[in-house]
Amino acid sequence: MAQPLGPGDARRAALLLTPAYLWLTAAVFLPLSAMLFFSLLSDAPFRGADWRFTLDNYRAFFATDVYATLLWKSLRLGLTVTALCVVIGFPCAWVLAKTIRGRAREALFLLIILPFWSNSLVRVFSWAIVLRGNGALDWLAGLFSSGDVRLGLLFTPTAVVIGLVHSYLPYVILTTYLALQAIDDTLIEAARSMGADRRTIFRRLVLPLSLPGLAAGAVLVFVPVVGSFMEPRILGGRFGAYFGTVIEDQFVAVFNWPLGAALSFILLAVVLAILSAAAPVLRRAQGAAA
Amino acid sequence: MREGGGWLSRLGVAWLWAVLAFLYAPIVVMALMSFNASPFYQLPFAFSTRWYADLWANAEIRAAALRSLVIAATTTAIATALGCAAALALFRYAFRGKALLQALLFPPIAIPWLITGTAMLIFFFGVGLGRGAPAVLIGHVALALPYVVIVVNARLASFDPTLEEAARSLGASPWMVARRVTLPWMAPGVVAGALFAFAVSFDQFVVSYFLARPGDATLPVLIYTSIRKGFTPEINAVSTIVIGVSMAALLAAARFSNFGGRR
Amino acid sequence: MTARAPRTAALAAAAILAGSAAHADQIRVLNWQGYGTDLDWAVAAFAEATGHRVVHDYFNSEQEMLTKLRTNPGAYDVVMINAAFTPQAREEGLIAPVDVSRIANFADIAPEFAGNPALAADGEIWGVPWTWGLTSFAINTAAFDAPPESIRVLWDPAHEGRVSIRDDALEAVQIAALATGQDINAIADLAAVEAKLAALMPNVRAFWSSENDWNQFMAAGEFDVATYWSGSAARSQAMGLPVEFVVPEEGAIGWLDGLSIPATAPNVEAAHAFIDWMIDPDFHIRWDEEGAPASANAAAAEALPEDAFNRAVLGDPEVVARVQFQAPVDDATRAAYLALWQRLKAAQ
Repeated sequence: MAQPLGPGDARRAALLLTPAYLWLTAAVFLPLSAMLFFSLLSDAPFRGADWRFTLDNYRAFFATDVYATLLWKSLRLGLTVTALCVVIGFPCAWVLAKTIRGRAREALFLLIILPFWSNSLVRVFSWAIVLRGNGALDWLAGLFSSGDVRLGLLFTPTAVVIGLVHSYLPYVILTTYLALQAIDDTLIEAARSMGADRRTIFRRLVLPLSLPGLAAGAVLVFVPVVGSFMEPRILGGRFGAYFGTVIEDQFVAVFNWPLGAALSFILLAVVLAILSAAAPVLRRAQGAAA
Repeated sequence: MREGGGWLSRLGVAWLWAVLAFLYAPIVVMALMSFNASPFYQLPFAFSTRWYADLWANAEIRAAALRSLVIAATTTAIATALGCAAALALFRYAFRGKALLQALLFPPIAIPWLITGTAMLIFFFGVGLGRGAPAVLIGHVALALPYVVIVVNARLASFDPTLEEAARSLGASPWMVARRVTLPWMAPGVVAGALFAFAVSFDQFVVSYFLARPGDATLPVLIYTSIRKGFTPEINAVSTIVIGVSMAALLAAARFSNFGGRR
Repeated sequence: MTARAPRTAALAAAAILAGSAAHADQIRVLNWQGYGTDLDWAVAAFAEATGHRVVHDYFNSEQEMLTKLRTNPGAYDVVMINAAFTPQAREEGLIAPVDVSRIANFADIAPEFAGNPALAADGEIWGVPWTWGLTSFAINTAAFDAPPESIRVLWDPAHEGRVSIRDDALEAVQIAALATGQDINAIADLAAVEAKLAALMPNVRAFWSSENDWNQFMAAGEFDVATYWSGSAARSQAMGLPVEFVVPEEGAIGWLDGLSIPATAPNVEAAHAFIDWMIDPDFHIRWDEEGAPASANAAAAEALPEDAFNRAVLGDPEVVARVQFQAPVDDATRAAYLALWQRLKAAQ
């Protein structure tokens, strides 16, 4: 366990900590500060451009409803994908943690996390091949019905949701599984012997105890999905404009880095606000379980 | 919960298999299409290995794959070294500001990569480093570092300090204690942390996308530009190889450590 | 030997991490994917003739091309720029003047292209005219009995969800300008253009952003009709896709593409040689067989077979009369188009 600092320990602790935190400072904290600075500039200060401090980039967000619409669209996408991941992932984690035992469980667990090790872009593009016209899904559907089947799923918001759920589902299964596994079976046994029915056990025991894992998984899904840009670009067709794609555009195409920085900070603020709003709810749920 | 044989648990197992099918369907399709002759992914299927032959001749893809491997390996080495040191200090010593230091590990994980990546782009440009492989490496290490610290810390949390106490009282030097007691205990955590670091770097797209220079692309960046600007089944072929190799590596790693949990 | 192996590996790794320095024997070209400069046979022949290996990087929009130049100084030797964007690149200091005395084929460039004010300014040449062509639309011949004669076909409800346009503000606005009967270079009623595009959206399946996109989606049968470039349509036909390029009664957008040398190009010598190679008639005649835009080189244009699309259609005075050539766009107008396009996409 941690000991109070003795003589010489301070030096040793500093020696161990400094490289890691110096690196994080240079690669994360200073860049974020630089971005904040940029978001307040009128022009990117490169190649002798004239620049001054301004709040115009933040005003631009409110000047039209384009950005607010897209931000809301991205948040809705984040919520939809997160909810689907939780609903689909929880039963999987449960079965994995409580029904299946031994080698089979180990093998299945590996199967669940293996897709993580494949390239996420390739997985998304694979969906484009599966969902497109004359693609694998149309072909499969054609086997079950007569005639030429056109599901037309590619280039729809549904395609974006499918691709994202596919990418992030393993996170939820993983974290929920770890939480469920920690629930002692004898606790459930005891509740049952005291006459609690299945629904009560789930509501009063299993759900609260697995909530930290579910919450961790949900955060791991929600945060990247809100900022996603390549999945909508590949799968979304004309519905593919999201807040993330607009930010990407500012950096790689339009070259309005100050506006991109301001939009990034607005996204960051909204994500942090949502996470901190959700924190007390989650804490209360955990408290009820104790 | 003993429900073995109940309809509910059978339904649950069926659900699990359905989800697995969902997870693997596009990967299987992708692999199959790497053997399909049509450059436009048209069906019906016609078997061909031409994309693998083309891949072998494609110097750009091979260079990108090698670059990704080198960057991932270097990231792993640096992040693991720095991360283990930090984890050890955070575990060993109590000092003011420790909670803050621990909290500072989360921004790289919790902030969307889009934001981290663009911030790095701005900063590296501002300080004159610009884009390129060094910038990519700095970024990857920063993203991987917190994972290493957290994983190693979790391992250390279950460490019994009386072991060190005992070793010391038997006359072991601090160096001996570290080498013979503490480090062996850390080892599985270090391996897990290193695996994480490698995976984070090797699959990292967003940050690399903003930081890589043309001609310096990592494999994911090359794949993205190919998807958007001219995709051929060569990319399916290289992806199939990457998936095959990483699956083999993960299975090998799984033999040595127990991913599935304690039981 | 064994002791040296790890050191060699470490050195190789360090070289990779240090980033790719410009090699003397290499030239880097920035262009659309699949657009002439990256043809296997041309690149191979150029390497054999001059010893320079050609390496490509691609862009997805003119905007992205400009930003790639801005953020990757020293990374490119040759860049392909649509003449409508050349003045902007020049004003931002992204490109250097081309020394035409080092380009033997420059003398054969048609005078109306060589003197184009977008490319020739301040007594210097900022981009060597390379190719020109039309932006209009192409149809999937399987979906039509007879080719349509009006651009209105894009708005036809019969093709709902079967239409595509390029994800590009300028092109979208100019297509709508044609459809509303306006001058593409001086749009008087931008509100009508926006309304026209808004009305198009329900028909749109997806936005395409590269030739490869276009071909893949056409092959998958996702589109009936999609905006396209004349040279690219010829290429798609040559690949065996059931495609026909249409110049409707409302007219088409004419464009001129030039080859420029970035201000920070590391290999200026080879860049000039490559540009000369690209405007050579021999290159163009062979490219035309696979499907190419029209050459800005008069000698090349005359050397084409009589029935070549670039001679038969683009040489037809009736077609040429309907073409409106793109003029450079100033910053304020471009910003207005971008905002309009972003609004339309966000509303989906």
